[in-house]
Amino acid sequence: MSNDRTPQPKSGLSRREFLTRGAAAAGGLAAAPYLLGGSPAWAAVDEGAKVGGKVDVLNWTFYIDKKSKKDFPKQTGIKLKYSETLDDNNTFFAKYQEQFANDDHIGFDIVTPTTWMAARLIELGYVQPMPFDLMENRGNLRAELENPAWDPTGEYTVPWQTGYTGIAYNIEATGREITSVEDLFDPKFEGRVGWLLEMRDSMTLALLSTGMTREEIAAGVTFNDAKPAFDRLEKAAQGGQIRRFTGNSYVSDLLSGDFALNVAWSGDVAQLTLEEPNLRFVVPDEGGHGFWADVMCMVSTSKRDKQVAAWLDYFYDPVNAARVAGYTSYISPVADIEDELAAIDPDAAENTILFPEQDVLDRLVQFPLLDPDDEERFDERYAEITGG
Amino acid sequence: MAGAADTAPKRGRFAPYGLLSPGIIWLILFFLVPVAILLRASLSSQPERFVPDDLRFKWKWSNFSNALNRFGPQFQDAMRNALIAAVVVAVIIAAVVVLRRGLWHSTRARRLLIGALVAGFFGAYIITSTVDGWGDHFQRSFLYAGIATLLCIAIGYPLAYVIAFRGGAYKNLLLGLVVVPFFTTYLIRTIAWKTILFDNGPVVDILQSIGVLGDSGRLLATPGAVIGGLAYNFLPFMVLPIYVSLEKIDVNLVDAARDLYSSPARAFRKVVLPLSLPGIFAGTLLTFIPASGDFINAELLGSPTTSMIGNVVQNQFLVQLDYPTAAALSFVLMAIITIAVLIYAKALGTEDLTG
Amino acid sequence: MTTVERAVGGPAPVEVQRSFPPPWLRRGGSWLLNIYAVLGLVYLFIPIFVIVAFSFNAEETKFNFTWDGFTFDNWAHPFAEQGLVDAFVLSLEIAAIATAVAVVLGGLVALALTRYRFRGSALVNLFLVLPLTTPEIVLGASLASLFIAKTYPSPVPDSRGFLAILIAHVMFCVSFVALTVKARLRGFDWTLEDAAMDLGAGPVRTFTKVTLPLMLPGIMAAALLSFALSLDDFIITLFNSGDQTTFPIYIYGAAQRAIPPQIQVLSSMILIVSVGILATGTFVGRRRERAATS
Repeated sequence: MSNDRTPQPKSGLSRREFLTRGAAAAGGLAAAPYLLGGSPAWAAVDEGAKVGGKVDVLNWTFYIDKKSKKDFPKQTGIKLKYSETLDDNNTFFAKYQEQFANDDHIGFDIVTPTTWMAARLIELGYVQPMPFDLMENRGNLRAELENPAWDPTGEYTVPWQTGYTGIAYNIEATGREITSVEDLFDPKFEGRVGWLLEMRDSMTLALLSTGMTREEIAAGVTFNDAKPAFDRLEKAAQGGQIRRFTGNSYVSDLLSGDFALNVAWSGDVAQLTLEEPNLRFVVPDEGGHGFWADVMCMVSTSKRDKQVAAWLDYFYDPVNAARVAGYTSYISPVADIEDELAAIDPDAAENTILFPEQDVLDRLVQFPLLDPDDEERFDERYAEITGG
Repeated sequence: MAGAADTAPKRGRFAPYGLLSPGIIWLILFFLVPVAILLRASLSSQPERFVPDDLRFKWKWSNFSNALNRFGPQFQDAMRNALIAAVVVAVIIAAVVVLRRGLWHSTRARRLLIGALVAGFFGAYIITSTVDGWGDHFQRSFLYAGIATLLCIAIGYPLAYVIAFRGGAYKNLLLGLVVVPFFTTYLIRTIAWKTILFDNGPVVDILQSIGVLGDSGRLLATPGAVIGGLAYNFLPFMVLPIYVSLEKIDVNLVDAARDLYSSPARAFRKVVLPLSLPGIFAGTLLTFIPASGDFINAELLGSPTTSMIGNVVQNQFLVQLDYPTAAALSFVLMAIITIAVLIYAKALGTEDLTG
Repeated sequence: MTTVERAVGGPAPVEVQRSFPPPWLRRGGSWLLNIYAVLGLVYLFIPIFVIVAFSFNAEETKFNFTWDGFTFDNWAHPFAEQGLVDAFVLSLEIAAIATAVAVVLGGLVALALTRYRFRGSALVNLFLVLPLTTPEIVLGASLASLFIAKTYPSPVPDSRGFLAILIAHVMFCVSFVALTVKARLRGFDWTLEDAAMDLGAGPVRTFTKVTLPLMLPGIMAAALLSFALSLDDFIITLFNSGDQTTFPIYIYGAAQRAIPPQIQVLSSMILIVSVGILATGTFVGRRRERAATS
C-alpha cells in the first residue's frame, strides 16, 4: 500500500512493532496456561479494611455478570452505580462531549469505551491516569496488553474485555459453511446480510475483501487505500445486499432469522451458540478484526482514586475475571484464568470462540489508529454509506 | 352555537397582550430564537472537529452546497417527491373544488382553488426544471411521508366518520381507543412491528403462502415497512382533526342536503366531504410534516436504501458532531415545509390548520 | 349543565344520531363501513397486543425477541431494571412539570385569543401553529444549537440536560394546549362573566367561579394531551437530553442491545392506566348525562 504513512504522534510504537505485539498477544493466548495459585492479592483486599464510598461505572450492556454487581459492594463496602447504557462509541462521545469539554463531571468515574475512542479521550484530556499506586492486581494484566498503541504510556487505560470480529451465520439460513468475506457479498444472501455500525470492525473486513493483506492493514490505512473498500461497501448497501448496519442489536436479527449472516463480535455469538446450535462464528480466510479491547478509563473530574483502584483490583482478580469472562464469552485481559474459568463453567473453557485455535489467531489483524484528518474522512464516508 | 352577537369577543387594549405574553415569549425564546441560531450555525464554520460549540459565523453558503452535494441523493429524491406529492394533492383539491363549484361557492372555495393552483403550478415548474432522470432511486423521505399520509386518510377517514356519526354515547370512548395505543411509547410500538413482521414470522409466512410475497420476499427492511410504520405512528393525528371537522357539521345542513339530493351518497359527496376537507388538510399537515422528518421508522424498519433525511440530520448532529452540515440540512428541510404550509395556510386560513 | 357543555364543545346532542347516518347506510353499506372502522381500530391495537403479550414472555435468552413461554415473573418484578425505573421516573417528572407550565402559558394564550379581539391575533394564531408544522428534527436541532451556543449571553442553561428537556417540552406543549383550549372555548358565551360581575362578583371571583370552571374541560383535555406528548417525545428530547436518560431514550438504547421485558410491563401499565381513565371518564360522563336529562 502507500508508503507515505502519516506518523502517529501519540504512539510511541511503530505500527510494525505493534503488529508484532499483536501477534505475540495472539500467541500468548493460546499458550498453555500456568496456574497463578489462588488469588492472594485479592484476598488481601478482602480481609483488609473496607474502602467505602461510592463508584459510578459506565459500561456496555451484558458486560458483567449479576454476581459481580452484588459481590463487589459487599467485598469492598463501596456503593456501586453501574450503568449499562453505553451502546455506541460515537454516541457516547457525542453525549458527553459538552460536559467533558466544560470540565463538568459526567456522573461516572469509570467509562469503558473501545480503544480508539479511549485514544481520543486521552488526547483531548478528558481522562486522567489510573491510580496504579493504589492497585494491587495490576500485574495480572496479560503482558501483551501492556503499553498498547492506543495508550502508549499505559497510564490511562485498563482493558475490561478484549475480543475479535468475524462473521456470524445461521447454517440453516445460509445452507453452507461460511469461510470467506466474499460470502458477505454473495447475491444469494441479498438483503439478509448485516454489518456493524462500528466502522473499524466493518472496514477491516471490507478492506480484506478488496485484496488488502493483513500486513498492509496493520501497517496503516490511508483514506486512499480504503477507497475501493468504501466503494464496495456502498455498492452493497445501495444495491440491497446489506440489510442493516447495527450495533449489538444484530443479535436479535440473527435469532429471528432476519440476518442469514453478519459481521459480528466473538463474545455475543459464543453466548448465542449455546442457545441456538445453528449459529456459527468464523474468522474468514482473509482475516478478521482483532484483538480489539474495551478499556476502562477514569474521567478527569473523578476524585475517587481509592474506589476506582478497588474496582480495577476486583476485576483483575483471576476468579472474578474468570467469572466475567465466562459470562460475557469475551476474552479476559487477565492472564491465565483458564483454570478458574474451567472451574466455573467447563463448557466455556472448551469453547473455541473463547479460546481460538492458533490458525484463527494468525488471521486476526488490528485496525490501525487513524490520522485525525483521515479519521474525519473515514467517519464521513462511512456515515454516507450506512445511511446516516 | 349561540348567536354571534351574544358571544362576540370583547375588544381589548392591553389585557389580551398581557395574557398572551408569557406563552408567546416562551415560543419566541425557544422556537424563533433557536431557529435563528440554527440558521446562523448553518452559515458558520467549525474549526475543530470535536468542538462543536465553537462555531465561527462566516456567511459560509458553501455549507449548503456541500451538504446537499454529500447527501444529494436523499435530498433530490426528497424534494422531487415532495413536489410530486404537492402536485397530486393540488390536482385532487382542484378537481374536488371545481366539481363542486356550482354548489359550494364561498370564499374558502375560491381560496382553496387558488392555493391548489399555485401549489400545482409551483410544483410542476420546479419538477420540470430541476429533476433529471426519474426512478433511479424510487423512494425517500417525502415520498414515504406522502404515501403514509394517503394511507392515513384511507384508514383514518372512515374511522373518524363512524365515530363522529355512529359513535352515539360511546363517541368519547371510541375516540379514546384511537388515542390509547399512543400512550405506549412510539419506539416500543415500532419495535413491536419488527417483532410482528420478521422474515420467519407468521405474517410473512402467510403472505408467502398466498403468493402476495415471493418465496424470498420479506416485509422488514423494505420501503413498505418504513411507510407502514410512518402511517401507523401518525394515524391518530389524521383521525382527530377529521373527527373534529365532522363533528362540527351542522345536522340541519345534512338534513337539508338529504331533502335536496335524492341519494344520501350524493349528500355525503356534496356536503359532508367538502365540509370535512379542513380536517383532512389539518390531518395531512400533522401527518406529513412529522413523517417527513422522522428517522425512527427508517432506522428500525428500514435498510440503508430507505434512509431518510431525518437519519442524516440525526447522524450529522448527534454522532458526527458536524453542526454546520446538520444545520444546513435541517434548514433546507424546514424551508421546503414552511413554503408548503404557507400555501396551505393561504388556501385554508390559519384557523382551520389544526381544526 | 347541558348548555354549558355544549358551549365548551362537549358531546353533541343525541338527536344527531337519529337524523344521520342516512338510511341506505344503516342497511348493507352501513355494516361494511362499521367493519372497516373496527378493522382500523384493530390495526391500531396490533402492536399493542404484541407488547402486552411479550410482557409475559419467559425469556430464555436475554434478548426478549422470540416467544419462549408464559410467565408472571416480569409483572412480579416490574422494577427489576434500575436504569429503566430511573428513566421512567425522570420522564414522569418532566411530563408533569412541562404540562403544568404549558397549561398555564397555553391556557392564557387561548383565553386571550378567544375572549378578545385585538390587532395581531391572526399572526398569533399562525405563530402558534408553526411549532407543530416544523419537523421535530428541526426543533430538536435548533434548540440544541441554542443550548450549546457559548457565544450568546443567554438566560438559558448553557448545556443540554434536565432543564433543556423541560424547556423544549414546554415549548411544543404550549402550542398544543393553546390550540386545544382555544378550540373548546370557541363560541363560548362570555356574557356569563358579565352576569357574574353584575351579580356582584369581583374579577378574581368571576374568574375562579365562572371562567375557570368553563375552561376546565378544555384544560383537562389539553393537559392529558401534553402529558402524553411529553412522555412520548423522543426526537426533540434526544437532541437536548445531554446525559439525561428519559424513558423513550432508554428504550432507544435498549433497542440497540436487547429489550428487557420490564419495558413491555411498564408500557402495558401505562396502557391500563389510560384505558382506566378513559373508561371512568365515559362512565361518569354517561351518568352525568343521564342525570341531566332525567
